[in-house]
Amino acid sequence: MASYTISQKGSYGSVLVELAPAEGFISEAGAMFRASANIDIDVTTRSRGSGGLMSGVKRLLAGESFFFSTYRSIDGRRGEIGLAPTLAGEVAVIECSGTNRWLCAGGSYLGSTEGLRLDTQFQGLRGVFSGESLSFMAVEGQGDLLVSAFGSIREIEVDGELTVDTGHVVAFEESLDYTLGRAGGSWIQSMLASEGVVLNFSGHGRLYVQSHNPDEFGSSLGGLMPPRES
Amino acid sequence: MDYTIDGNPDYGHLTVRLELGESFIAEGGAMSWMSGGAEVKARLLGGFLRALVRKVTGGESLFVGEYSHPMGGEVTFSPSVPGAISHRSLTGDSLLLTGGSFMACSPGINLRTAFGGLRSMFSGEGMFLIECSGFGDLFFNTYGAMIEREVEGSFTVDTGHVVAWEPSLDYTIRGMGGLKSTLLSGEGLAMRFSGSGKIYLQTRTLPSLASWLTPFG
Repeated sequence: MASYTISQKGSYGSVLVELAPAEGFISEAGAMFRASANIDIDVTTRSRGSGGLMSGVKRLLAGESFFFSTYRSIDGRRGEIGLAPTLAGEVAVIECSGTNRWLCAGGSYLGSTEGLRLDTQFQGLRGVFSGESLSFMAVEGQGDLLVSAFGSIREIEVDGELTVDTGHVVAFEESLDYTLGRAGGSWIQSMLASEGVVLNFSGHGRLYVQSHNPDEFGSSLGGLMPPRES
Repeated sequence: MDYTIDGNPDYGHLTVRLELGESFIAEGGAMSWMSGGAEVKARLLGGFLRALVRKVTGGESLFVGEYSHPMGGEVTFSPSVPGAISHRSLTGDSLLLTGGSFMACSPGINLRTAFGGLRSMFSGEGMFLIECSGFGDLFFNTYGAMIEREVEGSFTVDTGHVVAWEPSLDYTIRGMGGLKSTLLSGEGLAMRFSGSGKIYLQTRTLPSLASWLTPFG
Protein backbone atom coordinates (compact mmCIF):
# COMPACT_ATOMS: atom_id res chain seq x y z
CA MET A 1 0.00 0.00 0.00
CA ALA A 2 1.01 3.56 -0.58
CA SER A 3 2.18 5.61 2.37
CA TYR A 4 2.19 9.38 2.69
CA THR A 5 4.35 12.04 4.18
CA ILE A 6 2.81 15.47 4.35
CA SER A 7 5.87 17.62 3.98
CA GLN A 8 4.86 21.03 5.19
CA LYS A 9 2.20 22.33 7.51
CA GLY A 10 0.79 25.74 6.77
CA SER A 11 0.83 27.71 3.58
CA TYR A 12 2.84 25.50 1.27
CA GLY A 13 1.81 21.90 1.86
CA SER A 14 2.75 19.04 -0.43
CA VAL A 15 2.60 15.24 -0.21
CA LEU A 16 5.28 12.64 -0.81
CA VAL A 17 3.63 9.37 -1.87
CA GLU A 18 5.61 6.14 -1.51
CA LEU A 19 4.32 3.46 -3.85
CA ALA A 20 4.64 -0.30 -3.49
CA PRO A 21 6.12 -2.15 -6.51
CA ALA A 22 3.70 -1.99 -9.46
CA GLU A 23 1.17 -0.01 -7.47
CA GLY A 24 -0.48 2.80 -9.41
CA PHE A 25 -1.39 6.26 -8.21
CA ILE A 26 -3.52 8.88 -9.96
CA SER A 27 -3.37 12.64 -9.87
CA GLU A 28 -4.66 15.56 -11.81
CA ALA A 29 -2.26 16.24 -14.68
CA GLY A 30 0.41 18.70 -13.63
CA ALA A 31 0.30 18.04 -9.89
CA MET A 32 3.51 15.99 -9.80
CA PHE A 33 6.64 17.99 -9.03
CA ARG A 34 9.12 15.21 -8.32
CA ALA A 35 9.39 11.47 -8.95
CA SER A 36 11.98 8.76 -8.43
CA ALA A 37 13.70 7.48 -11.59
CA ASN A 38 11.76 4.21 -11.68
CA ILE A 39 8.37 5.91 -12.04
CA ASP A 40 6.57 5.71 -15.34
CA ILE A 41 3.89 8.30 -16.10
CA ASP A 42 0.90 7.59 -18.26
CA VAL A 43 -1.41 10.45 -19.16
CA THR A 44 -4.98 9.53 -20.06
CA THR A 45 -8.47 10.93 -19.91
CA ARG A 46 -9.54 7.97 -17.85
CA SER A 47 -9.11 6.74 -14.38
CA ARG A 48 -10.17 3.23 -13.45
CA GLY A 49 -13.71 2.46 -14.55
CA SER A 50 -14.59 5.93 -15.73
CA GLY A 51 -13.12 6.45 -19.06
CA GLY A 52 -12.84 7.81 -22.46
CA LEU A 53 -12.88 11.13 -24.13
CA MET A 54 -16.33 12.04 -22.89
CA SER A 55 -15.39 11.86 -19.25
CA GLY A 56 -12.49 14.19 -20.04
CA VAL A 57 -14.91 16.63 -21.67
CA LYS A 58 -17.21 16.33 -18.67
CA ARG A 59 -14.34 17.20 -16.38
CA LEU A 60 -13.46 20.21 -18.50
CA LEU A 61 -17.03 21.47 -18.21
CA ALA A 62 -16.74 21.05 -14.47
CA GLY A 63 -13.65 23.23 -14.43
CA GLU A 64 -11.34 20.30 -13.70
CA SER A 65 -8.38 19.10 -15.66
CA PHE A 66 -8.98 17.15 -18.88
CA PHE A 67 -6.29 14.61 -18.18
CA PHE A 68 -5.31 12.35 -15.34
CA SER A 69 -1.79 11.14 -14.79
CA THR A 70 -1.13 7.60 -13.58
CA TYR A 71 2.20 6.90 -11.90
CA ARG A 72 3.66 3.42 -11.47
CA SER A 73 7.02 2.01 -10.51
CA ILE A 74 8.28 -0.16 -13.36
CA ASP A 75 11.33 -1.94 -12.01
CA GLY A 76 9.74 -4.01 -9.24
CA ARG A 77 11.01 -1.68 -6.52
CA ARG A 78 9.29 0.95 -4.43
CA GLY A 79 8.88 4.37 -5.98
CA GLU A 80 8.21 7.91 -4.85
CA ILE A 81 6.22 10.81 -6.24
CA GLY A 82 5.74 14.27 -4.80
CA LEU A 83 2.45 16.05 -5.46
CA ALA A 84 1.75 19.73 -4.91
CA PRO A 85 -1.38 21.79 -5.52
CA THR A 86 -1.51 25.13 -7.35
CA LEU A 87 -2.78 27.30 -4.55
CA ALA A 88 -1.00 28.00 -1.28
CA GLY A 89 -2.48 26.01 1.58
CA GLU A 90 -2.62 22.72 3.42
CA VAL A 91 -3.06 19.22 2.06
CA ALA A 92 -4.72 16.24 3.72
CA VAL A 93 -5.16 12.50 3.21
CA ILE A 94 -8.71 11.15 3.46
CA GLU A 95 -9.05 7.40 3.99
CA CYS A 96 -12.12 6.21 2.13
CA SER A 97 -13.45 3.05 3.76
CA GLY A 98 -15.72 2.17 0.86
CA THR A 99 -18.86 2.43 2.98
CA ASN A 100 -19.83 5.81 1.57
CA ARG A 101 -18.97 7.73 -1.56
CA TRP A 102 -17.07 10.98 -1.09
CA LEU A 103 -17.79 14.14 -3.03
CA CYS A 104 -14.77 16.35 -3.61
CA ALA A 105 -14.75 19.90 -4.95
CA GLY A 106 -13.01 19.82 -8.36
CA GLY A 107 -10.39 22.37 -7.36
CA SER A 108 -9.51 20.45 -4.20
CA TYR A 109 -8.72 17.08 -5.78
CA LEU A 110 -4.99 16.36 -5.69
CA GLY A 111 -4.68 12.60 -6.19
CA SER A 112 -6.00 9.17 -5.27
CA THR A 113 -5.03 5.51 -5.08
CA GLU A 114 -5.75 3.43 -8.15
CA GLY A 115 -8.59 1.52 -6.53
CA LEU A 116 -10.81 4.59 -6.26
CA ARG A 117 -13.28 5.25 -9.04
CA LEU A 118 -13.62 8.90 -10.04
CA ASP A 119 -16.57 10.47 -11.77
CA THR A 120 -17.83 14.00 -12.30
CA GLN A 121 -21.16 14.75 -10.75
CA PHE A 122 -23.04 17.86 -11.78
CA GLN A 123 -25.54 19.24 -9.36
CA GLY A 124 -27.99 19.53 -12.26
CA LEU A 125 -30.87 21.95 -12.09
CA ARG A 126 -30.19 22.73 -8.48
CA GLY A 127 -26.90 24.23 -9.58
CA VAL A 128 -28.43 26.23 -12.42
CA PHE A 129 -31.17 27.53 -10.18
CA SER A 130 -28.68 28.91 -7.70
CA GLY A 131 -26.90 30.88 -10.43
CA GLU A 132 -23.58 29.14 -9.89
CA SER A 133 -22.53 26.03 -11.69
CA LEU A 134 -21.61 23.46 -9.13
CA SER A 135 -20.10 20.08 -9.62
CA PHE A 136 -18.20 17.60 -7.54
CA MET A 137 -15.87 14.77 -8.23
CA ALA A 138 -17.56 11.63 -6.91
CA VAL A 139 -15.04 9.25 -5.37
CA GLU A 140 -16.13 5.68 -4.88
CA GLY A 141 -14.48 2.61 -3.40
CA GLN A 142 -11.80 1.86 -0.86
CA GLY A 143 -8.53 3.77 -0.86
CA ASP A 144 -6.92 7.11 -0.13
CA LEU A 145 -7.93 10.49 -1.48
CA LEU A 146 -5.54 13.44 -1.35
CA VAL A 147 -7.11 16.87 -1.12
CA SER A 148 -5.72 20.39 -1.03
CA ALA A 149 -7.10 23.63 0.34
CA PHE A 150 -6.71 27.34 -0.12
CA GLY A 151 -5.62 28.17 3.42
CA SER A 152 -6.00 25.72 6.24
CA ILE A 153 -8.04 22.52 6.16
CA ARG A 154 -10.38 21.60 8.95
CA GLU A 155 -12.12 18.29 9.43
CA ILE A 156 -15.61 18.57 10.87
CA GLU A 157 -17.57 15.59 12.15
CA VAL A 158 -21.07 16.72 11.26
CA ASP A 159 -23.78 15.58 13.62
CA GLY A 160 -26.89 17.64 13.06
CA GLU A 161 -26.93 20.59 10.70
CA LEU A 162 -24.20 22.73 9.24
CA THR A 163 -24.28 25.41 6.54
CA VAL A 164 -21.15 25.86 4.41
CA ASP A 165 -20.45 28.43 1.70
CA THR A 166 -19.81 26.42 -1.49
CA GLY A 167 -16.42 28.12 -1.91
CA HIS A 168 -15.23 26.57 1.37
CA VAL A 169 -16.22 22.95 0.73
CA VAL A 170 -13.26 20.62 0.15
CA ALA A 171 -14.84 17.15 0.40
CA PHE A 172 -17.58 15.33 2.28
CA GLU A 173 -18.95 11.88 2.87
CA GLU A 174 -22.14 11.17 0.99
CA SER A 175 -23.77 9.80 4.12
CA LEU A 176 -24.53 13.48 4.71
CA ASP A 177 -27.68 14.89 3.17
CA TYR A 178 -27.16 18.18 1.44
CA THR A 179 -29.27 20.80 -0.29
CA LEU A 180 -28.19 23.90 -2.14
CA GLY A 181 -29.57 27.14 -0.86
CA ARG A 182 -28.95 30.63 0.32
CA ALA A 183 -27.39 31.45 3.67
CA GLY A 184 -29.72 32.20 6.53
CA GLY A 185 -33.06 31.36 5.00
CA SER A 186 -34.23 34.48 3.19
CA TRP A 187 -33.01 34.87 -0.39
CA ILE A 188 -33.29 38.63 -0.49
CA GLN A 189 -31.53 39.18 2.84
CA SER A 190 -28.80 36.77 1.90
CA MET A 191 -28.27 38.33 -1.53
CA LEU A 192 -28.12 41.82 -0.09
CA ALA A 193 -25.57 40.63 2.44
CA SER A 194 -23.52 39.28 -0.54
CA GLU A 195 -23.65 35.76 0.82
CA GLY A 196 -23.24 33.31 -2.01
CA VAL A 197 -24.69 29.89 -2.48
CA VAL A 198 -24.37 27.53 0.43
CA LEU A 199 -24.72 23.83 1.03
CA ASN A 200 -26.95 22.90 3.94
CA PHE A 201 -25.67 19.63 5.38
CA SER A 202 -27.59 17.39 7.73
CA GLY A 203 -27.15 13.94 9.22
CA HIS A 204 -23.90 12.25 10.19
CA GLY A 205 -20.64 12.20 8.31
CA ARG A 206 -17.23 13.72 7.82
CA LEU A 207 -16.69 17.03 6.06
CA TYR A 208 -13.49 18.89 5.17
CA VAL A 209 -13.60 22.66 4.77
CA GLN A 210 -10.99 25.23 3.75
CA SER A 211 -10.47 28.46 5.67
CA HIS A 212 -10.44 30.65 2.55
CA ASN A 213 -12.41 30.90 -0.67
CA PRO A 214 -10.23 30.74 -3.83
CA ASP A 215 -12.81 32.48 -6.06
CA GLU A 216 -13.14 35.40 -3.67
CA PHE A 217 -9.38 35.92 -3.62
CA GLY A 218 -9.26 35.53 -7.39
CA SER A 219 -11.88 38.18 -7.96
CA SER A 220 -10.29 40.57 -5.44
CA LEU A 221 -7.01 40.21 -7.28
CA GLY A 222 -8.54 40.09 -10.78
CA GLY A 223 -10.45 43.31 -10.11
CA LEU A 224 -7.13 45.11 -9.67
CA MET A 225 -5.65 43.85 -12.93
CA PRO A 226 -6.27 45.51 -16.30
CA PRO A 227 -8.60 43.65 -18.68
CA ARG A 228 -6.78 41.12 -20.86
CA GLU A 229 -6.15 42.24 -24.43
CA SER A 230 -7.66 39.77 -26.84
CA MET B 1 -19.99 36.21 23.01
CA ASP B 2 -16.91 33.99 22.74
CA TYR B 3 -14.61 34.13 19.78
CA THR B 4 -11.49 32.35 18.51
CA ILE B 5 -9.09 33.44 15.80
CA ASP B 6 -7.31 30.54 14.08
CA GLY B 7 -4.74 30.49 11.32
CA ASN B 8 -2.95 33.81 11.99
CA PRO B 9 -0.85 35.25 10.41
CA ASP B 10 -1.22 33.39 7.09
CA TYR B 11 -4.84 32.35 6.97
CA GLY B 12 -6.66 34.01 9.81
CA HIS B 13 -10.29 33.10 10.26
CA LEU B 14 -12.70 33.97 13.03
CA THR B 15 -15.20 31.75 14.83
CA VAL B 16 -17.87 33.37 16.96
CA ARG B 17 -20.13 31.54 19.40
CA LEU B 18 -23.54 33.24 19.43
CA GLU B 19 -25.89 32.64 22.34
CA LEU B 20 -29.63 33.04 22.10
CA GLY B 21 -30.51 36.68 21.51
CA GLU B 22 -26.97 37.71 20.50
CA SER B 23 -26.15 38.99 17.07
CA PHE B 24 -22.96 39.77 15.20
CA ILE B 25 -22.14 42.00 12.23
CA ALA B 26 -19.77 40.97 9.43
CA GLU B 27 -18.74 42.29 6.06
CA GLY B 28 -20.93 40.98 3.22
CA GLY B 29 -19.98 37.50 2.03
CA ALA B 30 -17.54 36.75 4.86
CA MET B 31 -19.42 33.77 6.28
CA SER B 32 -17.61 30.48 5.59
CA TRP B 33 -19.60 27.97 7.58
CA MET B 34 -22.12 28.05 10.43
CA SER B 35 -24.38 25.88 12.54
CA GLY B 36 -27.57 24.97 10.72
CA GLY B 37 -30.48 27.32 11.39
CA ALA B 38 -28.41 30.52 11.69
CA GLU B 39 -30.08 33.63 10.31
CA VAL B 40 -28.65 36.39 8.16
CA LYS B 41 -30.11 39.85 7.72
CA ALA B 42 -28.70 42.58 5.54
CA ARG B 43 -28.01 45.93 7.20
CA LEU B 44 -26.90 49.17 5.63
CA LEU B 45 -23.38 50.11 6.54
CA GLY B 46 -23.22 53.64 7.93
CA GLY B 47 -26.42 55.23 6.65
CA PHE B 48 -28.09 54.92 3.28
CA LEU B 49 -26.72 58.01 1.55
CA ARG B 50 -23.13 57.40 2.58
CA ALA B 51 -23.42 53.73 1.73
CA LEU B 52 -24.77 54.64 -1.69
CA VAL B 53 -21.95 57.09 -2.34
CA ARG B 54 -19.43 54.42 -1.33
CA LYS B 55 -21.12 51.93 -3.63
CA VAL B 56 -21.08 54.30 -6.60
CA THR B 57 -17.59 55.65 -6.12
CA GLY B 58 -15.75 52.74 -4.54
CA GLY B 59 -17.78 49.75 -5.69
CA GLU B 60 -17.95 48.56 -2.10
CA SER B 61 -20.90 46.67 -0.73
CA LEU B 62 -23.87 48.66 0.51
CA PHE B 63 -24.68 46.13 3.15
CA VAL B 64 -23.20 44.18 5.97
CA GLY B 65 -24.68 40.92 7.25
CA GLU B 66 -26.19 40.58 10.71
CA TYR B 67 -25.95 37.01 11.99
CA SER B 68 -27.94 35.42 14.76
CA HIS B 69 -29.00 31.96 15.81
CA PRO B 70 -32.38 31.13 17.35
CA MET B 71 -30.94 28.26 19.42
CA GLY B 72 -27.38 29.50 19.82
CA GLY B 73 -24.62 28.33 17.50
CA GLU B 74 -21.27 29.05 15.87
CA VAL B 75 -20.42 31.05 12.77
CA THR B 76 -16.98 31.09 11.11
CA PHE B 77 -15.93 34.06 8.99
CA SER B 78 -12.93 34.57 6.75
CA PRO B 79 -11.76 37.56 4.74
CA SER B 80 -11.42 37.31 0.97
CA VAL B 81 -7.65 37.73 1.12
CA PRO B 82 -5.23 35.59 3.13
CA GLY B 83 -3.63 37.34 6.09
CA ALA B 84 -4.05 38.14 9.74
CA ILE B 85 -7.10 39.10 11.74
CA SER B 86 -6.79 41.49 14.63
CA HIS B 87 -9.20 42.07 17.51
CA ARG B 88 -9.72 45.27 19.41
CA SER B 89 -12.15 46.11 22.22
CA LEU B 90 -13.64 49.54 21.93
CA THR B 91 -14.73 51.17 25.17
CA GLY B 92 -16.06 54.46 23.94
CA ASP B 93 -12.94 55.22 21.88
CA SER B 94 -12.82 54.99 18.10
CA LEU B 95 -10.67 53.65 15.29
CA LEU B 96 -10.45 54.55 11.60
CA LEU B 97 -10.29 51.62 9.18
CA THR B 98 -9.28 51.89 5.54
CA GLY B 99 -11.74 50.50 3.00
CA GLY B 100 -11.64 46.72 2.82
CA SER B 101 -10.03 46.18 6.24
CA PHE B 102 -13.28 46.01 8.14
CA MET B 103 -14.24 42.43 8.88
CA ALA B 104 -16.73 42.10 11.72
CA CYS B 105 -17.97 43.57 15.00
CA SER B 106 -20.44 43.11 17.82
CA PRO B 107 -23.63 45.18 17.50
CA GLY B 108 -22.55 47.76 20.09
CA ILE B 109 -20.04 49.17 17.60
CA ASN B 110 -21.21 52.06 15.42
CA LEU B 111 -19.93 51.98 11.86
CA ARG B 112 -19.88 55.27 10.03
CA THR B 113 -18.62 55.89 6.53
CA ALA B 114 -16.24 58.81 6.75
CA PHE B 115 -15.14 60.79 3.72
CA GLY B 116 -11.38 60.95 3.93
CA GLY B 117 -11.10 64.16 1.93
CA LEU B 118 -8.96 64.91 -1.06
CA ARG B 119 -5.77 63.73 0.61
CA SER B 120 -7.15 60.20 1.02
CA MET B 121 -7.59 60.00 -2.76
CA PHE B 122 -3.83 60.22 -3.01
CA SER B 123 -3.26 57.87 -0.13
CA GLY B 124 -4.10 54.80 -2.19
CA GLU B 125 -6.49 53.79 0.55
CA GLY B 126 -9.65 54.88 -1.24
CA MET B 127 -11.73 57.95 -0.60
CA PHE B 128 -13.67 56.47 2.26
CA LEU B 129 -12.79 55.28 5.69
CA ILE B 130 -14.90 53.40 8.16
CA GLU B 131 -15.05 55.08 11.52
CA CYS B 132 -15.72 52.54 14.25
CA SER B 133 -16.82 53.76 17.67
CA GLY B 134 -18.91 52.66 20.64
CA PHE B 135 -18.53 49.65 22.90
CA GLY B 136 -17.75 46.08 21.92
CA ASP B 137 -15.48 43.86 19.86
CA LEU B 138 -14.07 44.93 16.52
CA PHE B 139 -12.27 42.64 14.06
CA PHE B 140 -10.28 43.82 11.06
CA ASN B 141 -7.98 42.06 8.64
CA THR B 142 -4.84 42.55 6.61
CA TYR B 143 -3.31 41.13 3.47
CA GLY B 144 -0.07 39.74 4.84
CA ALA B 145 0.90 40.00 8.48
CA MET B 146 -0.20 42.81 10.78
CA ILE B 147 2.14 45.19 12.53
CA GLU B 148 1.03 47.35 15.43
CA ARG B 149 2.94 50.53 16.28
CA GLU B 150 2.52 53.08 18.99
CA VAL B 151 3.33 56.41 17.32
CA GLU B 152 4.84 59.27 19.32
CA GLY B 153 5.79 62.23 17.21
CA SER B 154 5.81 61.32 13.57
CA PHE B 155 5.81 58.16 11.51
CA THR B 156 5.95 57.59 7.75
CA VAL B 157 4.17 54.72 5.99
CA ASP B 158 4.06 53.78 2.34
CA THR B 159 0.52 54.23 1.05
CA GLY B 160 -1.41 51.02 0.82
CA HIS B 161 0.18 49.50 3.89
CA VAL B 162 -2.02 51.33 6.37
CA VAL B 163 -4.92 49.34 7.77
CA ALA B 164 -6.16 51.35 10.74
CA TRP B 165 -5.25 54.17 13.06
CA GLU B 166 -6.56 56.01 16.07
CA PRO B 167 -8.16 59.38 15.30
CA SER B 168 -5.73 61.09 17.71
CA LEU B 169 -3.25 60.74 14.83
CA ASP B 170 -3.32 63.14 11.93
CA TYR B 171 -1.65 62.60 8.59
CA THR B 172 -0.44 64.37 5.48
CA ILE B 173 0.41 62.97 2.05
CA ARG B 174 3.92 63.52 0.83
CA GLY B 175 6.61 62.07 -1.33
CA MET B 176 9.33 59.92 0.17
CA GLY B 177 12.30 62.25 0.25
CA GLY B 178 12.65 64.70 -2.62
CA LEU B 179 11.06 64.65 -6.06
CA LYS B 180 13.85 62.54 -7.51
CA SER B 181 13.60 59.80 -4.92
CA THR B 182 9.80 59.89 -5.06
CA LEU B 183 9.92 59.20 -8.78
CA LEU B 184 12.80 56.77 -8.81
CA SER B 185 12.64 54.80 -5.59
CA GLY B 186 9.39 53.05 -6.38
CA GLU B 187 8.21 54.13 -2.98
CA GLY B 188 5.75 56.60 -4.46
CA LEU B 189 3.67 58.55 -2.04
CA ALA B 190 3.72 58.15 1.67
CA MET B 191 1.42 58.99 4.53
CA ARG B 192 3.14 60.90 7.29
CA PHE B 193 1.36 60.49 10.60
CA SER B 194 1.83 62.82 13.53
CA GLY B 195 0.53 62.98 17.07
CA SER B 196 0.30 60.12 19.48
CA GLY B 197 -1.73 56.97 19.06
CA LYS B 198 -1.73 53.48 17.66
CA ILE B 199 -1.41 52.55 14.01
CA TYR B 200 -1.91 49.13 12.34
CA LEU B 201 -0.04 48.18 9.18
CA GLN B 202 -0.08 45.30 6.73
CA THR B 203 3.14 43.79 5.38
CA ARG B 204 1.82 43.25 1.81
CA THR B 205 -0.57 45.02 -0.53
CA LEU B 206 -2.91 43.43 -3.03
CA PRO B 207 -2.52 46.11 -5.75
CA SER B 208 1.23 45.48 -5.87
CA LEU B 209 0.69 41.72 -6.30
CA ALA B 210 -1.83 42.48 -9.05
CA SER B 211 0.56 44.76 -10.89
CA TRP B 212 3.37 42.23 -10.56
CA LEU B 213 1.09 39.54 -12.06
CA THR B 214 -0.31 41.71 -14.86
CA PRO B 215 2.54 41.28 -17.37
CA PHE B 216 2.04 37.50 -17.15
CA GLY B 217 -1.71 37.70 -17.81
